[in-house]
This record gives sequence, structure tokens and C-alpha cells, in this order.
Amino acid sequence: MKISHLGLLASLLFAGIVQAADAPAPTKLNTTADHSKFKELQREFTSGPEVTKACLTCHTEAALQIHRTKHWTWELVNPLNQQRLGKKNVINNYCLSSGTNLGACATCHVGYGWTDASFDFKSQENVDCLVCHDTSGNYKKLQGGGQPPVKDTENPPGSGKIVKAIDLAAIAQKVGKTSRDTCGACHFFGGGGDGVKHGDMDSSLASPEKSVDVHMDATGLDFTCSTCHKAPAHDVVGSRYTPTGKDAGDAHIRGKVNKSNPATCQSCHGQTPHKAGAQPAKLNQHSDKVACQTCHIPQFARGGVPTKMNWDWSAAGKLSPEGKPMLKKDAHGHVIYDSKKGDFVVAENVTPEYAWFNGEVTYTLLGDKVDKADGITQINALGGNASDGRSLIWPMKVMRGSQPFDPVNKTLLKAHLAGNDDTAFWKNFNWEKAIETGMKDANAPFSGKVDFLKTEMYWPITHMVAPKEKAVGCNECHATGGRLDKIQGVYIPGRDANQLVNLIGWLAAGGTLAGVMLHALVRIVRRKN
Amino acid sequence: MKVHRLVSTLIACGLLCASTLASAYDADWKRGRIYYRSVCTACHAAQAGGSIAPSTMTKAEWGAYLQKDKHAKGKDSVKQYVSKSYRASIRSQNKAADKFADLPDEELFEDLKAFLIKGAKDGDAPASCS
Repeated sequence: MKISHLGLLASLLFAGIVQAADAPAPTKLNTTADHSKFKELQREFTSGPEVTKACLTCHTEAALQIHRTKHWTWELVNPLNQQRLGKKNVINNYCLSSGTNLGACATCHVGYGWTDASFDFKSQENVDCLVCHDTSGNYKKLQGGGQPPVKDTENPPGSGKIVKAIDLAAIAQKVGKTSRDTCGACHFFGGGGDGVKHGDMDSSLASPEKSVDVHMDATGLDFTCSTCHKAPAHDVVGSRYTPTGKDAGDAHIRGKVNKSNPATCQSCHGQTPHKAGAQPAKLNQHSDKVACQTCHIPQFARGGVPTKMNWDWSAAGKLSPEGKPMLKKDAHGHVIYDSKKGDFVVAENVTPEYAWFNGEVTYTLLGDKVDKADGITQINALGGNASDGRSLIWPMKVMRGSQPFDPVNKTLLKAHLAGNDDTAFWKNFNWEKAIETGMKDANAPFSGKVDFLKTEMYWPITHMVAPKEKAVGCNECHATGGRLDKIQGVYIPGRDANQLVNLIGWLAAGGTLAGVMLHALVRIVRRKN
Repeated sequence: MKVHRLVSTLIACGLLCASTLASAYDADWKRGRIYYRSVCTACHAAQAGGSIAPSTMTKAEWGAYLQKDKHAKGKDSVKQYVSKSYRASIRSQNKAADKFADLPDEELFEDLKAFLIKGAKDGDAPASCS
């Protein structure tokens, strides 16, 4: 009995060995390197820079490549007008500016420890590899320097909110390509919350349905951000600071050197994208005047996440009768008043506004003169018109608001918002103190007076491309009062009319009809005779 | 007796290795997210009285639920709705089922489990159903 039992077990073992020998070894097919097998990553990490140091033992040039990018410097010079832009320099009508607020803003810097001017931009170990290459979805960074929590941490300090520790080794062993989740960890949450800033980018794009975006459709084409925003040497292409207004080039072909922006529609679809349907030639004719996005993104903020459309800073600072900051929400639970930030208007499924755009953007920067008497100040004035040959009609999110300016020096202002110190606006609700700190940090003059002026900021809409059957219909533009009602410099049939030409046309048509009928009548009468 | 023990030990080691190889699958929580939202949520929302967000249960509760493998209060199993045969039955109307039609049942189940544990109330990233 024992012998037969042993024999059975031995047979099973033999069969198992044979089966194991026949079966292919388990292999990851989506990468050539299993990072969990690297000894450099099989250890405990107590800080982000320690992980980077391990990464650099193999990826020797990666950090130096990052150092050359705007993701690292937060700065770039616009080659068209030499304006010094980037998050470090620009003022907007959301959270106003970075500056002394770096502790909060730089949580989204692709580095570790940037809280003030002492940050070492030449340090390779300060580069944060994990924020872009995490595939576990578990990576987090803390406010106040952007370090990952290696132990349970109250963040922001004094808030009572505990951020749970993460296992850096486990995350480092699962690094991979960037994804919508990694890019979105910052870009979906620009302006201080989900969907706040862009309008066409929010967390609904992490795993979207086709109705939200045909390219990123998780069950379809499943594009990641880098499918379009290529990143040679870690430098991601397709910046809003220097956008492409009109791409007149052909579709990019593998092996052929293309120096144009690979993130345009034309870089894949070419200049005659419509091949089928009712009138492909007629639709293709539109491409020299109308951006693809104008017809193919009928609304933005379509994924169930609202975007901010108006932000009135002048209303900030009101406290409850008990002297506490207040939050007010609308019927959908969206915040519409925050003592720290003022009044908001939020919206979903927003129909864009439209404007000629040739890719030129001129920012109103710190020190540029502004005047309340001029009406609305353009945070980023767009270049373009119907006749320059470089413009297309683009869909825009227009962010409107009211923000602090210096009525004496006539400049926009930087304010110290976040922080635990006495001058931070979100702590003491005193504009003068907050702005004095912000402007001193920027080494810019401040008269001590604060007023508010109205501003607008334009955001060309390019994500959330709808299925073709949901594209804007002809009669939505070719009609009086349609989407393109305010677009000047171009004749749009159905919208535009000249009364004299119309009269001549109707007279000609009516005269022809009358002539035919008269002729027919004469023939009938003469036949009877 | 010694020979018996030796062979048994060898067999145990062999089976353990085989089991380890079988369980070495590195679950893809993102694939689980797609399947949960496009198949589970879609059906629950349309036919089963509403969707269930992963964040409505704890990791332990999801673990126990999947371990028991009882769907609809025991009327059928969870694994049934992750199986190839189920995917084949709905693939003409469901893009996620179509996309993952050929995945082994065990892998897709592990993907789903990874997403639910990650998205649980006390998980690393509490998740909604959409």
C-alpha cells in the first residue's frame, strides 16, 4: 500500500516536472525589465531621493534630461515674444501664482523639496522618478516639499488629516511607463481640485468611456497622454504656453523626421481627415478655417466632473458670525463659496466659446500695467484673426474672475495664500499682509493698496473629443445666433446675409418662376386655339 | 519510513513551487477598474438596483466577499461573471467584455480583486463606481 502510494506521488511529481518543463516560463510581456528583480530596489527606502539614487544607477542620464525640461524648471521663454513664462512666473485667475505658495504648489513639481529659493536645481537625486513612473497607483506626495510619506503623517501640518505611509520599495519595484493616472495626478487637479482649471481634463479621463473621449476610451483605443504628447529625452511635447494654432503639415510617418508638434490632430489625421459620410469633401474644406476641436468637442467637462468658470477673489475673507471660515455648496454638493477663496461658478457640459487663434499667446505678467478703467484684463491675450493665414477658429474655455491688483502701481499682485505663518491669507484673511509677503518674495513693488479687477483667461479646448456621431451639427454654426455668431472676418452661409444680395436673389428666382409659368400658360392657351 | 518522508517532502516542495508559479500573476488593477466599471457597474446600474462603489466596503469585507464567491446573496457566483463564457455572452454589447474576451478567468478575477482592494473604504485609493 505504501509502495503504491509512493509511486502515485512520484508519478504526480514527475508529471508536474514534465508539465513545468513544457510550459513557458511566466514572462511579463509589457516590459523588458522586471524592476522587482533589481537588487538596487530590494531594500527599504526612507526617502524619495534614495529611490532616485537607485534609479540613476541604471538610468544614468534620466535626471539630467529632466533638468532641461519645464516640468523641472517651471520656466520657459516663449520664442515668439521672449516672455518668460512657466508656473514660476505666470499669474492666473485661479490660485493667482506660485511664489511663496510653493509649499502647496510644488507638490506637483517633478522633484523633492522645492519650498523656497534654496532648492538645489542641479541635484539629480532631487528628481522624482516615481511621480511619473508609478504603476501601482499608490504613490503620494506631501504638501510642504513634495516628499513621499514614509510614515503616517499629518498633512498639511495642523490640519488633522493623516496621510498614510506608502511602501517606496514596493512602488519602485513596479515602475513602468507613464499613464493617464500618473500625468493626471497633477494635470487633472490643476487650480486646486479635480477639473478646476482646464475644463477638458479631469479625473474622468483616468479610465474614460468612449463618450467622454474617443482616443482615451479605456475599452477602445486607450491612448495614454504620451501617445500624443511624445517625450523625447523626457521633454514632453505640446505645451499650452507655446501651442500650435494651425498645423498645416501632413500626418507624421514612422521613420520620417517630423519637427512639428506631434500632439495636433493633423499629426495623425492629416489635412483631409474625412474619408466617408455624407459630404467628406465639404467637411474637409472646413479644415483651413476651423480647428478639428471646434466640431469634435461639442462640450467640455463632460465626464461628470464640473470645472470652475468664474472665481471672484474679492468675496474671499467673509467669516461666520462665530468668526470661522465658511463653505457653501450648491444643490449638487459643489463648493460655490469658500472664505479662503471667494465665490465660484462651476459648470458641467459647457458649450465652448470660439475665437480665432494662431498659437500666439501674450501674458499679462507681474509688472505689466493694468487699469480697472480698461475693463476686463486679459491674463493671456490670444493672437489670431481671419486674415493672417495662420489662424483657425478654436473652442475655448474662458475663465473669468476678479483678482487683486495694485491701484497705485497698476499691476497684478502675487499673494501669499498657503502657510502656517501670520501673513498667509488662508490663515489670517488679511489681503494687505498676504500681498506684502508675496510681492516682497517676488522682489516687486507694492503700494500697500489692494483693489480688485476683472480678468479673463483663455484655455484652448483639445481633450474630450466626442464620438463622430456627437460632433457639432452644421446648423449649430450655419445659423443666426449659432455657436459662431461672434466670429468675425469670415462669411458663414446661413449666418451671414446681405439684404441687397438677398433681394436680388429672390427677385431673380421669383422672376424665373413667373417667366416659366407665363410661358407655360401661353403654350396651353395657344394649343387650345 | 525515511524514504516515504523524503519523497513526501519532495512532492510537497514540488507542489508548493507549482502553486507559487501559478500564483505569481501580477494583478493589473487598472484592467480590474475597467472591468468593474464597464461590466459590473453597467449591469448593476441597469438591472440590479444601482451601482456599488468599491469604497462602500473595507478591504476585509471585499476579501471575504470574493473568497466566499457568492453573488446575489448566493444565487450564483462572482467568478461566473468574470468567466470567459460570460464575457462571450455579452461581448457583442459590452466593449470591456469584448476587449478582455480571451483573458484567463483567474487573471481577470485577480485584476478585479486588486482594484476592489485598492479602491476599498480603507484601501490605498478609495474609488467610486464611475
